[in-house]
Amino acid sequence: MLPIISLGCLTPHALSPTLSLSITKPPYNTPLPPLLYSTNPKHNPTNTHNLSMAVSGFEGFEKRLELQFSSHDPVTGIGLRQLDFKSLEQVLHQVQCTVVSALGNQHFDSYVLSESSLFVYPTKIIIKTCGTTQLLKSVQPFINHARTLNLHIIALRYTRGSFIFPQAQPYPHTSFHEEIVYLEDSIPHHLCYRKASVIPSKLTSHSWHVFSAGAVEYPDDVPYTVEVCMTDLDQTLARKFFRHPNDGKNGDSAGREMTGLTGINRINPNAQICDFAFEPCGYSMNGLDRDCYSTIHVTPEHGFSYASFECLGSMYNDMADMVKKAVKVFGPATVSVATTNASDDVCMRIKGAVEQLGMKCRSCSMDVVPAAGMVVFQTFTTRRKRI
Amino acid sequence: MGAQISSQQRSDHGEVLLVHSLDSWNTRFQNSKASNKLMVIDFSAEWCRPCKFIEPAVHDLAVEFSDVDFVKIDIDELPDVAKDFEVKAMPTFVLVKKGKEQERVVGVKKDELHRIIEKHRF
Repeated sequence: MLPIISLGCLTPHALSPTLSLSITKPPYNTPLPPLLYSTNPKHNPTNTHNLSMAVSGFEGFEKRLELQFSSHDPVTGIGLRQLDFKSLEQVLHQVQCTVVSALGNQHFDSYVLSESSLFVYPTKIIIKTCGTTQLLKSVQPFINHARTLNLHIIALRYTRGSFIFPQAQPYPHTSFHEEIVYLEDSIPHHLCYRKASVIPSKLTSHSWHVFSAGAVEYPDDVPYTVEVCMTDLDQTLARKFFRHPNDGKNGDSAGREMTGLTGINRINPNAQICDFAFEPCGYSMNGLDRDCYSTIHVTPEHGFSYASFECLGSMYNDMADMVKKAVKVFGPATVSVATTNASDDVCMRIKGAVEQLGMKCRSCSMDVVPAAGMVVFQTFTTRRKRI
Repeated sequence: MGAQISSQQRSDHGEVLLVHSLDSWNTRFQNSKASNKLMVIDFSAEWCRPCKFIEPAVHDLAVEFSDVDFVKIDIDELPDVAKDFEVKAMPTFVLVKKGKEQERVVGVKKDELHRIIEKHRF
């Protein structure tokens, strides 16, 4: 067990709680990859941090936010799904991203964004964005919009890996410390159980950052989530996510082709898929299977290649098998798997599945956070890679 | 004829026909089988925001391709029709000619919808 850098756990406090801010600075000791200029228009041409982008590559590692709401009304109905499109676009504008495609079913609505994904359930919002988006700026707008529907926030969880280009990140994402301060200021007092944690691995370039806050310390009936981050993708496999010039396709048809050619459609054959291929490269998809979402995002460029696979746990699906299939699509040299509220059995099976691909588990660390439960962070590398 | 069985935005040309009853749908479908006209079926639901998002674009397509029939079905009003066409997520657009499915688009994909309507138009 590796030591965890925990930033204090609060006992419930009616007044404004304080989070211990004596944080050990994350170990960004790894040398930076060679200076690269990203020409991918997906990579937010309107972003004010273009200068930073010019001396770094596109940041594939996402920031993820999950907001849980509760209703006073006995019948919630479609809850947050009532939010009109204009309201959603307003919030997305604050985060500097736009809707590229969308698909819904009886359980939730999904949106493919210019910088990742958004899922809207009746009482839950999950938003995941990459690049240099200011994701945390969506917290207050979402809380306010929900209030207009008589829904109040009961839990918030913010997670991310370690940025490949941390110096390219804008406020409030210049450091985990800054993110925590911003979150603390954005959330209401009644979310009094709070904890921030940096879960390390044996790789200095891979840590898992978690901030969790809730009105209840131990929630019941919380489904588990799996977040897989892959770097150093196999070049031949990554090339499948590049558009061909003059292919006569649009982003939708090119995306659908990539989904089939790469086998992404076989990860969960029961899922309805909403996909998109960016120019000149890059790919995103959302999967809908009953009330479970899954999502994949790919930054295929050499030097900072990245792919993520995230999925909500369900009794209908074999998570370990899905993770294995997803990793096989990309052939990465490094894989990190973060699970939230998953059983030991699920964690062990995922470990076994990734090892079956010939990768070696380098670390397994965990921490318990309020409102979300146990967070387990495992890292794997190919056997030939030296740490 | 009593209760409203279908409603139209304006005229029969260049608009989206909202079909509310099974009888009305069956009539439409039979008529479609007898003709060479392409029919685009838009499966949506009142509570589905992605469906609302693409609505203006569908109306634009109906105007642009006025020789194509555009029909909208609410899956809560006609669940059996949605089941027949295996609609699992919304919006789903099914292109039908002479009663046979030609191609479909699942999700908010305006460019793709435009492309396949053009492809199967004649």
